[in-house]
Order: sequence, then C-alpha cells, then structure tokens
Amino acid sequence: MRRREFLAMAGATAVTGFSIPRVSAQVANWPERPVKLIIPYAPGGGSDLIGRPWAEALSQAFGQQFVVENRGGAGGMIGTEAVAKAQPDGYTLLATPGATLTVLPHLRKAPYDASKFVPCGRTGDFVTGFSINAQVGPKTFAEMVDYAKKNPGKLSYGSAGLATATHLRLEMLKYRAGIDILHVPYRGSADALNDLLPNNVQMMNEINNIPHVKAGKLHLLNINNSTRHWDFPDIPTLTELGHPDSDVPIWYSIQGPPGLPQEIAEKLNAKMLELSKTEGIQKSLRGVSAALQPMTTKEMVAFFDADSKNNAALIKAASIKLE
Amino acid sequence: MALDGLFANLALGLSVAATMQNLLWCLAGAVIGTAVGVLPGVGPVATMALLLPVTYVLPADGALIMLAGIYYGAQYGGSTTAILVNLPGESSSVVTTLDGYQMARQGRAGPALAIAAIGSFFAGCVATVVIAAAAPPLTRLAQQFAPADYFSLMVLGLVFSIVLARGSIIKAFGMVFLGMLLGLVGTDVNTGNLRFTFGISDLFDGLGFVPLAMGIFGIAEIIANLTNPERRDLVSSKVENLWPSREDFRRSRGPILRGTVLGGLLGLLPGGGAVLGSFSAYTLEKKISKTPEKFGTGMIEGVAGPEAANNAAAQTSFIPMLTLGIPSNAVMAMMIGGMMIHGIIPGPQVMEQRPGLFWGMIVSMWFGNLMLIILNLPMIGLWVRLLLVPYRLLAIAVLFFCCIGVYSLNNSANEVLFIGAFGLLGYLLMKLDCEPAPLLLGFLLGPMMEVYMRRAMLLSRGDPWVFVQRPLSLTFLVLAGILVLLVVLPFIRKSRETAFQE
Amino acid sequence: MQIRNGQDFATGLFFIAIGLGAYWIAADYPMGTAMRPDTGVLPKALAWLLVGTGLILAGKSLFIDGPRLTGWAWRPAIMITIAAVAFALLVDRLGLVLTMLVSMTLAALGTPETRWREYGLFAIFMVALGVAVFIYGLGMPIRVLPQGLSWR
Repeated sequence: MRRREFLAMAGATAVTGFSIPRVSAQVANWPERPVKLIIPYAPGGGSDLIGRPWAEALSQAFGQQFVVENRGGAGGMIGTEAVAKAQPDGYTLLATPGATLTVLPHLRKAPYDASKFVPCGRTGDFVTGFSINAQVGPKTFAEMVDYAKKNPGKLSYGSAGLATATHLRLEMLKYRAGIDILHVPYRGSADALNDLLPNNVQMMNEINNIPHVKAGKLHLLNINNSTRHWDFPDIPTLTELGHPDSDVPIWYSIQGPPGLPQEIAEKLNAKMLELSKTEGIQKSLRGVSAALQPMTTKEMVAFFDADSKNNAALIKAASIKLE
Repeated sequence: MALDGLFANLALGLSVAATMQNLLWCLAGAVIGTAVGVLPGVGPVATMALLLPVTYVLPADGALIMLAGIYYGAQYGGSTTAILVNLPGESSSVVTTLDGYQMARQGRAGPALAIAAIGSFFAGCVATVVIAAAAPPLTRLAQQFAPADYFSLMVLGLVFSIVLARGSIIKAFGMVFLGMLLGLVGTDVNTGNLRFTFGISDLFDGLGFVPLAMGIFGIAEIIANLTNPERRDLVSSKVENLWPSREDFRRSRGPILRGTVLGGLLGLLPGGGAVLGSFSAYTLEKKISKTPEKFGTGMIEGVAGPEAANNAAAQTSFIPMLTLGIPSNAVMAMMIGGMMIHGIIPGPQVMEQRPGLFWGMIVSMWFGNLMLIILNLPMIGLWVRLLLVPYRLLAIAVLFFCCIGVYSLNNSANEVLFIGAFGLLGYLLMKLDCEPAPLLLGFLLGPMMEVYMRRAMLLSRGDPWVFVQRPLSLTFLVLAGILVLLVVLPFIRKSRETAFQE
Repeated sequence: MQIRNGQDFATGLFFIAIGLGAYWIAADYPMGTAMRPDTGVLPKALAWLLVGTGLILAGKSLFIDGPRLTGWAWRPAIMITIAAVAFALLVDRLGLVLTMLVSMTLAALGTPETRWREYGLFAIFMVALGVAVFIYGLGMPIRVLPQGLSWR
C-alpha cells in the first residue's frame, strides 16, 4: 500500500468510526448507549406528540436514553433522508408519520428508498374525522352527503396542504360518496382552522377540530378509523357508514435505516408491543386524540405495502401532483 | 364579561401563578429566555426550538408558565441584540435595528435599551389586562377577517415597508420586490410546484427568516465593520449615560402608547399580524413626526413605538392561541405543541375546563414582565459594556452565535450555508446603499399575500370583486393607495426639480 | 453619455440581472387563468418589476450626480463567508470543538488586526462557552469531538 492510500484509509476509518466489525456482539447487547430518534419535522408538531411519549417510555423500558432530535425540512424528506443514510447500528432510528414513506415517494423524487426502511413498531394513529361548521346545517354524515349533492361545489374543505393525509381523505370521500367539494390547501392545520371557524371554509378533518366540536361550533360527522373515538361514542366510523377501506389512516411508526439487523428490530418491536399494553402510553396518546395500533414487524411490512399501494392509487385517481 | 367575573378569574389566576413553584418556573423561563435570546443570532424562535423539550418534563401549568416566560424573555433578549449588534432575532425586531442600532453607534445604547425595556413592560402590562378582560370578544373581532381582507392587509403592510425606508424610494421598491422574490423560493402551497429551488431539497420548504436576517443584517455588518474602524469606533466611543434623559422619556411617551394600541390590535391576527404591529408603529411615528427625515439616524421614537408594539403584539398573539388553538406565528405554534404534549388540545374549552391553567398563565405573564424589567434594567450596564470588547473578537463571537443559532432551528448544517451566502448579499446591498428592512418585509409578506390572494379567489369561485366588496378589505386597499400617493408624489416632484436643475 | 451615479447604476444593473435571471428560471412556470392565477404569475410579475426598477435607477444615474461605488472589503468578506461555510460543512463531521476552532480561526484571518496570542485565549474561552452552553446547557445534538473519539 502506498503511503497516500494508507493515509486516506486511516482518515476514512477515523471519520466513520471503528465500528465495522463486531456486529453480532453489538446486536445482542443493543442498546448499549443512547439511541437517537429522528423526527423529520419541527418541534411541536404532530410527530412530536406521538414520538416524545414513546421516547420517554422506551428510555425507561431499556434503561438507555432515547433522544429525540427534530430535523424538519422538505415535508419530512430531509430528516428521513438523514436516517436512510445513517449507520444501521440501531442507534439512529426514525419516528415518522406514514406520509414520508407511503405518500411522498409517489409524488416526488425522494432521496431515499422508502421500501428499504426496517419497520420496528407502530406508535399510534390520530383518530378524528370529517367535521363541518355548524352554521352550514348538516349534522350527520348522511345529511352532509345529501347537502353536497344538492349544492354541488358549494362546500369547501380546508386541508393541511397538498397531498397531506387529510387532503387524501377528502379525495377518498369525494370518490366514494360521489360528491363535489372544493379543496383549499393551507399551510398546516392551524391555518385551516382559522378559516373553518368563521365558515370561510366549511369542512376539515384534523385533530385540532375536536375541541371545537365539543364546544358546539362544529359537527363531527364520522371517524376515519377502525374504531370509534372514545370521546364520541355515538359518531360512526366510515366503515360503519358503508364506506370500508376509505379511512386513509394517519399512522406513525418507528423505522430503522436500511440494513438494520432484524434482531434489533424484533427486540424493539417486542418491547413496544409490551409497552402498548401499559396505561401510561395509552393515556399520553389519548390526550392528543391518538390511539395505539400495535403490530408485529411482519404485519407492519404488509400494512406498509397496502398503505403505499392505496395512496398511489388515490393520488393517481385524484391526479394530485407535486413537482 | 362582567367586571366581578373578571376579578374572580384574575384571583383564581393569581392563586395559581403565585405559588412558589410556578413563580420559580416563571422566573426560570424569563431568565433562560433572556439569556439565550440575548445571544446574537439566537432569537425567540431558535430559543423556543431549543428549550421546548425542556418543558416537557414539567407539570402542565408549570410548563406553560415557563414556556410563556421563555417567549417574552427571548423577545427582550432579542431586542438587546437588535440594538447592540444590529441582529434582529425575529421578524418583529427588524425595525428596532433601524434606529436602535444607530443610537448604539452614537453611544446611546443605554437609553435605547432602557426605553425598549420600559416600553415593552408597559405594553406587556396593558396587553395582559386586555387578554384577561376581553379575550373572547377580541377573538370574534379577529374572526371577521376573511382571506380577501388578509390580502389587502398584506398589501398595506408592503406599502408600510416602503414608507419606512430612509433613502431612495426607488431602491426601496426594488428591495421589496427582491424580498418577495426570495420569499417565493420553495413549494407553492396551492399547486405543489417548486419555485427557484434548483433541485435542492433544503429549499423545498422555502428560505428561513432567521438565516436570511442573520446573513443580511449580522454577517454583512461584521464584514463592513471589520474593515472600517471609523464605523465601529462610534459604537464604543462613549457609553457613559446609561439612563434615558428626561427629554428621552418625554419623546417616548406618545410612541409607547400608540405602539401598544397598534401592536395589541394587530397581534390578534394570525399570520403576519405581529410582524405588521412593529412596522406600522414605526411608520405611524415617522408619519406624524415633525422631523420624519431624521428617522433611521437614531430617533428614540423609532425604538419606543415598535418595541412597545412588538411586545403588545407578542402578548395579544396568545389570544387566538388560547381561545381557539390557532397560532399566529411560529412561536405560538410551538406553544401549542408544548400544550398538546401535556394532553391539552388548545381550544375554547381550555378556558372552561381548566380555568386555573388558563388564568394562571395570564397572570404569570404579568409577573414575568415585572421580573424581566427588574432583571433587565440593571443589566443594561453590562450589555453596553459588552460593546467595549474589541471588535476583532466580538465579530468572531457574533459569527459563531449566528452559525449555531441557525443550526439549532432544524439541526441542519445546510441552513448555515445560507447565512454565508446571505452575508455576501447583505454586504453587496450595503455597498449599493440599499436598505435591508424593506427586503425582509417583502420576504415575509409577499408569499403570504400571494397565498391569501389565491385562497380568496378560490373561495370566491374566481370572482375578483371580493377584494372591494368586503368593507375591511376595501378600507385597507384605500389606505394603501393613499399612503403610496403620499410617498410617491413628493418624490416625483423632488426628482423632477433636481432633474431640471441639471 | 456618462455615469454620474455609480452606486445607483450598479444597483440598477443588479436589479436587472436578478430580474432577468428570475424570469429565465420562471419562464416555464404555469400561468393559469385570470380567475385562477397559477404558480408563475407572481414570479414573472416580480421579475418584470425588478427589471423596471433597475432600468429607472440605471437611467436616472446617467443624469443625476451621486456617490460612486468604492471601498470593497475583500478580505473580511471572503474570510467571514468561508468561516460560515466551514462551520456548515464541518459541524456534523468533526464535532463542535474542532469546527469552532477552524471556523473562528478563518474568521480571525479576515482582519489584519487579529493579535494571535489574545485570539488563542479567546478561542479557548469561546470553545468552553460553546460546549457548556449549547451541548450541556441546551442539549443540542451536536457531537463534541469527531466520531470515534466520542459518541456525542
């Protein structure tokens, strides 16, 4: 080896760390040091609400810190890309909504291959449904569909942005119920709520509507989830209303970078399934209107594929485009 | 609301806020907020981004009280760096740099800081009472705004930005256009198309305000000062009088009152309202002043008005957040995140279901403001003495804080690259004698204006008359038109005269 | 014809250049209809407005006297920019301590006034402050030293 090559090698080893061999021992003892949990959005957002309680619960359960790191940007793609390129040693994981993995790649050239991520566990789904401003009139799902059919194009719907899960929910509703509702994209759900309350737009589908449903300003029409909402036992799910497979779930999960040893994923998954049964995590999630949907890693792979396919079909049918 | 009801509520709030623990959290928030916010390059947004997770471990009321403390603490701190080193940590302290930094360069940093603190304190106290007394009706008032009205308000705001320019009006127009163009970088909200991103994914969400402001104001100032000893010797030449003179107080009284009212009202509006507060306060003071040409050269009115306005707006921006769960700026969005992590979904029911939390937080704001002024007035001497650090070292420190402040927003090193680029741009603009403030306002308001315009058109199903049919919208547009005429007419006349003199 | 106001003339050219550049990039952005303006409308409108503003400024500078463009500070401009860029490129790889040292030294090279002994002490102070405040005080996820030497 010539001297320059040797120096380059030495440099490379110094930069990448001395972590290339010794894999099996590391896997067995994982986690031996703090684990970085990257959330690909700014602090205070929905991913934080679900990711932070999990980080705390996992830290306690494993006796090692799970440190949350918010890395926002490009609709979640920057943080997701960072994990995709991280060492698959189990010390950098992604806590993400489905959007970055099963929605964005169908719309934009993503700098990562979503199917290569290693699922570790589902962390929860936001539970909410379509709501309509009380000034409009309709109080139930059927009445709303009826109203929309009689007044085509009169209702407007505020989403958190183009191609967000709540936008897809509207497209699904329009398609399944055969009605015409104007889609108005906003910068985030709070921005949309600001136009929903004075009835500038009439409908939304976000968790920030729930307090206003309770205050009587909005009517909750249905629940986009497999089960009803614990605070609204009388509001039916979409499936119960005769529209199965139309929920477009807003689901969150922890994913490992491509190449993460399956043993680590299973170890984490087992602990997460265990934690899912505890009151602590259930309560934190209920507080933000989220529910647990525990799954094994195998189930997650199937779920992931189905969700990705559904979204791709929906995006195509509604001809949603991002550049 | 009946007055006795108000007192009952305030008493309840007092009982929550005045517990030893909560007073401590309030103090901790205010102190940490100021300490971090005063680092050049780290404004309220960065401070909150850094400290939000810290509050997750506290009980709900303590967490909220501390978060609020961090926010207004950081705002106090941010004004300090705006005045001392020309670094606006957030949008609303951009105007403070205009006259505040000039005062500092004339050795009057002490009075500028003192007036900023006193103005903020007064505005904070008034706004706290306003929140307590009239939050629900004010919320309803703010809800009268439809997208068309917001559009027209943004137009008015852009006109403000031209009025506040000191030098050439043509250049100010150019800077607003340039700022708007920079604001368009990123994903078009309505269609998802990318604009001016060159395929760089860090640009998909647009350019950040903080890197832009840090670069254009801070880095450019460092570059200019490093080569030009005269320029900066002003700063450290004489700093003996720390306290405002009686004359200063007399001149500041009116601006503080007017700023409080303007800022308090505009702070209610989600989306740019708080920013407009300080800009319009400045514009107002400049317009009614007998010596408008002196603005931008170190007029204390130009510090007092906007600082009062920005603090009043900061406080009243809590109103839509608390009553409706609608954040009016990035910081409030983080507050909402902080509330939700404690299982509180902000909305109308918070006031009814958790009155102790709600009123406790409001009362704590007053305590926090009081603590801040007690803490900060004696600190002024220390801050001013910082200017005596040799500039060759101060410059390096400021540069480092800018870099790490920008990094902390998203834990992203790439955004730090932007401050380098914007620093060069800022230096170029300085050499061309173009003021950066209109550029920043264009950057903030331009994209919002576009979004509201298209949203209004979408909701009116393509009817452009919506902008003149709505009384609010029409009023703003007419005001904007009058202001443009007031600004442009004398300018045209003057340049004609000079042209003829040739 | 003579340029009487170099500063305004340069500003005019700057605005025109940016305007034309923006127009060129935005040329294929869709315009939509009058009722539903699309992505391209505002960028193109702003591009023209900038060009117009630039033309007025440049034109005016031919008739009305004004200051010339002088006194470029190349050394600090280049070194400060490089210092910021170095920070951006190195911080994730080398950790905070080395990055600070490199970046601050580059900045110090930007002015002839730097006294190196004083700077040395100052650099040590700043590194200590930076690590204490940002890593331990605020818990920012930046490593202190390069990977391999420590995990953080």
